[in-house]
Amino acid sequence: MTVLLRLFAVLCAVTVIACWFSLGAHLGWTQTLAPVKKSDPVTEIEFTDYEARLVPGVDFLCAGLLGSAAIFALTFAIPNSRKRR
Amino acid sequence: MKASACLILMALALLADGRAEALTFDFKDSKGVNNVVFELDAPLESIKGTAKGISGSVTVDPANLADAKGRIVVATNSLIVPNPLMRAHLLSKDWLGARSNPEISFDLRKVGDVESKGANVSEAKVTGVLSLNGISKEITAVAKVTFMPGRLREFSKGRLEGDLLVIRSEFGIKRSDFGIRPGEFLDKVSNEIDLTLSLAGAAAKGR
Repeated sequence: MTVLLRLFAVLCAVTVIACWFSLGAHLGWTQTLAPVKKSDPVTEIEFTDYEARLVPGVDFLCAGLLGSAAIFALTFAIPNSRKRR
Repeated sequence: MKASACLILMALALLADGRAEALTFDFKDSKGVNNVVFELDAPLESIKGTAKGISGSVTVDPANLADAKGRIVVATNSLIVPNPLMRAHLLSKDWLGARSNPEISFDLRKVGDVESKGANVSEAKVTGVLSLNGISKEITAVAKVTFMPGRLREFSKGRLEGDLLVIRSEFGIKRSDFGIRPGEFLDKVSNEIDLTLSLAGAAAKGR
């Protein structure tokens, strides 16, 4: 049980880091709208359009890693069944 | 006698042709090009967003910008930042109060120091009253104004005939001047707000 939980915690941490990296490794806050720069050919005005896309930020990374660490820490609170025997 | 009359008529025709007239440019933009970018410094990353709900009109003689009059309005709830929680805070009654102050407006009062920067391009000092968060304050900013005669057809993809007026300006305001949490959260959100305006107004012919 303890080993399984620890493996799950490590898996969670790896998944969170992989998600954060693959979705842009954004060093700011999490965004649900990604800005896309565009330009009007006639007036040459630059403007930003937003597309609905998740860009996880450092808050996502921290929350994910803290959650994983909490699960990992929980395993130390569970009594070891082998030692009891 | 006949020749001199002809010359006078020709001269009058030339004068009439050369005399530019005031045009009213509508800044309500169906293409979604017109935008105001706002940026505030913050510890993790600067808060950068865009407002696109722009309307209003400016009446100006492109050959004489000094007589320009008009009003530009930005719908407060059109302000977008990429983080949804940040946007909810920004539009809440604690910050911009989008419900009680649905509009941010700029009433043009005076245009001075007009300097030509090329054919149909001028730079001028624009003074007007900026109303934000229910507080009005006179501000002056430098604006680059480009008159684009006959380019509305291209801009509107053939739907309309007429002229375009492009206004670009960058200036800063202080949120404390407009009662937006003055003196509060200065370590989290800067007092200075940098604004970048890029607006195209259309004066359609035959309307």
